[in-house]
Amino acid sequence: MSALDEGTPFEALRGQLQAAATQFADGPDALEGILLGIVDDVDRAVREPLEIFPVCHHSPASAVAMARRLREKQPKVVYLELCEDMAPLLPELRNCRLPVAVQAFASEVKGFPEAWAPLSVVAPITEASAEYQAIAYALDTPGVELVLVDRSSDHVFQWQAGGEEPAGPDDPPVEEEAALHGDAVGVEIGDLRPRFAELEEHLLHHGRVRHWSEWWHQYVELPLGDSDHDTYRQVMLLIGSLFRRLAPGDTDRVRVDEDRERYMWTRMREHLAATGTDPEDCLYVCGAFHASSRVEEFGVHGTETFEITPPGESTWQHGLIPSSHAAIEAQFGLAAGSVSIAATQWAKNLRRTRVQPFRLEGQAGARKAAKPRKASGPPAPVAPEAPADKLSGFLQSPPALDRLDEAELLGWSVEIVRSARRNGYLASTADAIAVFETSILLAGMRDRARPTPYDFQDAAVTCIEKETVPGRRDVRRLVEILMGGDRVGQVGYDALPPLARDVHDRLAPLNLKLQQRGVQRALLDMTSQPELRRCSDVLWMLRHLMPHGAARPIMGERELGKQSVQESWDLALGTHQRALIELGYEGVSIEQVLEQRLRRVAYAPNATTAQVLGAVEDAVLHLRSGRLADELGTHALEVLATERSVDGAPEVLRRVRRLLAYYRISRPVLPAWIESFAKTGYAHYCTLLPTAFTDEDATVRQVAAMLGFLFSMESLALSLGCDRTQLDLAFAQSHPREPSRVALLWASQVHLGQLSRAELRERCDGLLADPLVVPAYPRYLSGFLHALEPVPQLADFVVEAVSNAFARLPDPVLLPWLPKLITTLRSEGAELAPLLIREAGRVFPGRLAALDAWVPPWQAAPAATAAPEAGGGARRAVLLVAHPETCDSVAELLGCEGTWEAEAPEPSGAVLVGRHPETAAAVELLLTGG
Amino acid sequence: MSDLLRAPAEIKYAEELDWLESVDDGPKPFSWRLSPKMVRLFILGSERADGLDREISQKWYGDRSFVERSIVTLASDRGLLLIGDPGTGKSWLAELLSAAISRNSTLVVQGTAGTTEDHIKYSWNVSMVISKGQSRESMIPSPIMTAMETGAVGRFEELTRSTSDVQDALISILSEKYISVPEMDSDNIVFAKPGFSVIATANSRDRGVNDLSSALKRRFNFVRIPVVTNKKSEAEIVRFRTEELLKRHRIELDVPPTLLDVLLQSFADLRASAAAAGSDDEKLESALSSAEQIGVLEDAILHSNFFGERALTARTLASSLVGSLARREPEDLAILNKYLHGVVEPRSKEEGGSWPEFLEGGRDAIATLS
Repeated sequence: MSALDEGTPFEALRGQLQAAATQFADGPDALEGILLGIVDDVDRAVREPLEIFPVCHHSPASAVAMARRLREKQPKVVYLELCEDMAPLLPELRNCRLPVAVQAFASEVKGFPEAWAPLSVVAPITEASAEYQAIAYALDTPGVELVLVDRSSDHVFQWQAGGEEPAGPDDPPVEEEAALHGDAVGVEIGDLRPRFAELEEHLLHHGRVRHWSEWWHQYVELPLGDSDHDTYRQVMLLIGSLFRRLAPGDTDRVRVDEDRERYMWTRMREHLAATGTDPEDCLYVCGAFHASSRVEEFGVHGTETFEITPPGESTWQHGLIPSSHAAIEAQFGLAAGSVSIAATQWAKNLRRTRVQPFRLEGQAGARKAAKPRKASGPPAPVAPEAPADKLSGFLQSPPALDRLDEAELLGWSVEIVRSARRNGYLASTADAIAVFETSILLAGMRDRARPTPYDFQDAAVTCIEKETVPGRRDVRRLVEILMGGDRVGQVGYDALPPLARDVHDRLAPLNLKLQQRGVQRALLDMTSQPELRRCSDVLWMLRHLMPHGAARPIMGERELGKQSVQESWDLALGTHQRALIELGYEGVSIEQVLEQRLRRVAYAPNATTAQVLGAVEDAVLHLRSGRLADELGTHALEVLATERSVDGAPEVLRRVRRLLAYYRISRPVLPAWIESFAKTGYAHYCTLLPTAFTDEDATVRQVAAMLGFLFSMESLALSLGCDRTQLDLAFAQSHPREPSRVALLWASQVHLGQLSRAELRERCDGLLADPLVVPAYPRYLSGFLHALEPVPQLADFVVEAVSNAFARLPDPVLLPWLPKLITTLRSEGAELAPLLIREAGRVFPGRLAALDAWVPPWQAAPAATAAPEAGGGARRAVLLVAHPETCDSVAELLGCEGTWEAEAPEPSGAVLVGRHPETAAAVELLLTGG
Repeated sequence: MSDLLRAPAEIKYAEELDWLESVDDGPKPFSWRLSPKMVRLFILGSERADGLDREISQKWYGDRSFVERSIVTLASDRGLLLIGDPGTGKSWLAELLSAAISRNSTLVVQGTAGTTEDHIKYSWNVSMVISKGQSRESMIPSPIMTAMETGAVGRFEELTRSTSDVQDALISILSEKYISVPEMDSDNIVFAKPGFSVIATANSRDRGVNDLSSALKRRFNFVRIPVVTNKKSEAEIVRFRTEELLKRHRIELDVPPTLLDVLLQSFADLRASAAAAGSDDEKLESALSSAEQIGVLEDAILHSNFFGERALTARTLASSLVGSLARREPEDLAILNKYLHGVVEPRSKEEGGSWPEFLEGGRDAIATLS
């Protein structure tokens, strides 16, 4: 394994480890292999001409070492372990408030299972990270080139494809954890964590810490905080190598890791060869894990055996999305608060070591302008020294115990008590004292002089938390906030995709700071400011496209044919910035995205007619696009023709009616598609009617909706050339058996004139009279209730039928049915109930007193029907006599000749006067003044 | 084997404590018998890495940080209040802590509705008062007062069961650290010696019965002990306690691991259903704590030992489970019945093993009870 030259600086260490291995394991074996292998790895990496800079993610120690090294060495080329396709975005970082994440996004996937779509890779970048230092240095120093060398986003998924596990959002790939950041796969520079669960457990246990982040902070971060470059580098290499060697042989994972290393080295050699750069002038920034690689391709002089496969055909979009400490912690499985603690530690390290960090010029969100870069200007680069063994010293020295920083701890203690008080805790100065004391005692129990933030958290919980949490946040959370809190990044306007910029531009008339997080209320008065109507259009589209809460109308509505004159909105575009940015990957304007989405909905393989009609409605409503609406409408026609069930009938009816009403008032002629739709629908539902009447799967409501379609579209369809016979035939073929459908059929027959009301009444009476059928009467009623949809003129009859039910149904049938009637009316008949109630109000007496004398109109029916007949005849005659011209001219046209026969004049008004002379007498009396 | 039915921790583990004291070179606060690290070691047990010559067994199972926070609280100025559901090991932890710190875990006041201030402070031996007058001799110190006088840890069990005025007697004890005896003219203040502290326990299910006053709350640090839901540590606890029990009763009976699994699984299921329940009527009255599990197992073991065939069977376990958990007549039985039909029955068909027998035993027990 060790093929090393004589005179390596690590010879002494090697000897010591060999002796240790012999002592502990009784002879050369695996332990010796591992221990010496680690030294070999370190040695190999240290002697590589192209300087390798191992880092760990979110490690302030790495960041400080990086800043220091960059100032010393001033490399001309920085190679960075980050997906190479993300390079063009990095200059945009200066427009953002960190943390943000660089995102690669592919909504249309090619070469991967459909279920993986959309593919998304994010690389979060925080200020306290080594990679940000490298990026800031490279981008702001003239003549320095930044080269991203890791595999492209497409390769991230390609290399997964071979594995068994799909990289779907719910099923994250092995080496990178997917979580927040919108279901993206996270990539991070310097993922350094034991892969051997037992090793991690062991380290945590003996470090007397709870999380990996805490262990790292305590045992690596703090000791390395002040160390020199060589020590830092060798220790990081050592840790990388240790975790690598003590890893279970997960072949898939190892394969991906090694392929990445091969990829990176191949890319670097390509770049060196192409530009002719001296490797001495370069710096390769990679995770410590990859720094101690053992692949053949490792090094400037490595073998050229790796062939880089071309990326797949998926179209990748790139952008910056806001990130947050909490999102990073969740995605990469770090302890809550650890990234914030790292940020605080970074600030502290900077103060202590006086290292000047790099910061992109004009970096948004910077507390104060960083020292001008020129100030750090080129002190002569330090000449490379021969590597010396710094490891032995580091390993042999006792753990550097951090001194107790009393002032800091006091500050924390006082601050947490204040913040607890603000959050409803009954905390006092006594608690601050107790927290201070307990922190020190706890740290002592855990073998450290200085309480870590985690010790402090435990102490604060012990002393302040009682049995209940009075406010929204508990003490644990308050400590996290105290330690830096969650910092949420923001992508600046200039770094936004065109769509998002366009949205902000178009909403500018609202005069709101929409980039800020939080909910803002927008008031739009379109009468006084007509220009706001365009903002309103944008907001309605956003409401359709973005997650709930991004744009929420409080007042105002938009429906076909309706538009509010005033609207008020709750807007949270800043909070949902990621969603807006991801919309930007789908198109350049929201109209375009909306159109695509509507098309996608309409052309989905399992789209129903109702859904397509919904898309048509949205197209009309939001895009005002006749073209798209017509296209989608035509498609709805096709979908309708292929539908074999009547499940969507109620929805189809509702939507078509709405669209029809809209087109009738807004356009001189109906669009061709809706005419065809009425025609096709008429024929379609006529065909399906007989089966629907007997099909057990179709509900009464659906059949009623079909009938509603047929009856309400009838005039339109017939005018367009449909044949009434279709409908007659359909009814002739319909033989329902189930009572509610039978009732529906009867109602339809009344509508069609095939059945008179008297006959219908007779049938219902027959049902009520027959003791064998009576139990089914409620179901007939249910049919009649549904019949109100297609045949609303039957409302009075339904009132009659219901009243009869109450009057005549025997209690054992009536009582169990009553609750059902109420629940059904409430759930299904919400639209029909008002009709029914209005009709009932008309039929029944309005006052209680009138009830005794009241006779239901249907019982008085024969007399009532006879009277109008006679009266009607009389009226006709009167009219004819009064206006004979019409009849004469018609007769003349028809060539008939004849004369008017004088009819014995019927007493008209005189009859009444004769019957009731009192009025006339009273009038006479008045007139005569008697 | 001692001739006590249940020896307190300091007697039971006397030998371990002696040994730990002999090797302890860490700094000891006040008059503590062990240093905080050794107290932790005593409670959580030793590991190889601790480099001790002998093994110290683990006596309390739970998160290490609870123990550390408790020890640290006792070393500070405040009292310790262990709060949690019944059966989560609060009293056991309190006993271990006081045994390790002051070698006396018997200075206990039991909080009940009938606890009076005398139980916390002192009372008088009436006949001695009549004959000799009020003096130190005729005074009967409470366990708390004794703890103060000896610099030991006093315990107050079920603090929230006693009434608020009685609880508030603790306020001055915890802040001023003395009790004044106004009945006497001289020598009328009992001062606490260094090392004195109070460990109280409170049942979180009793919340709202006698809530602690804010003044008392701030003199206590609260450590909440959650119900153990980690199956592995729960198995450890049940095994540990059962062994102890078998030893105490001198019963030689084997607890098959499969039955232990059945017990743990059934409790896990019942807890899940309790968590999903909407109202109190839909969940068992029992807190389903580890102590309840131990109770069920104990019941089953004793039953099989004395009335059964000296072997623990799934049937006995099921009937003990039903017997221990069915407390309210229609509600609890209905839930258990639903559990047997809805969960155990399909499982016994799928997995077999001890489950069919368990199902049968459970059904029989329910049939007998209802």
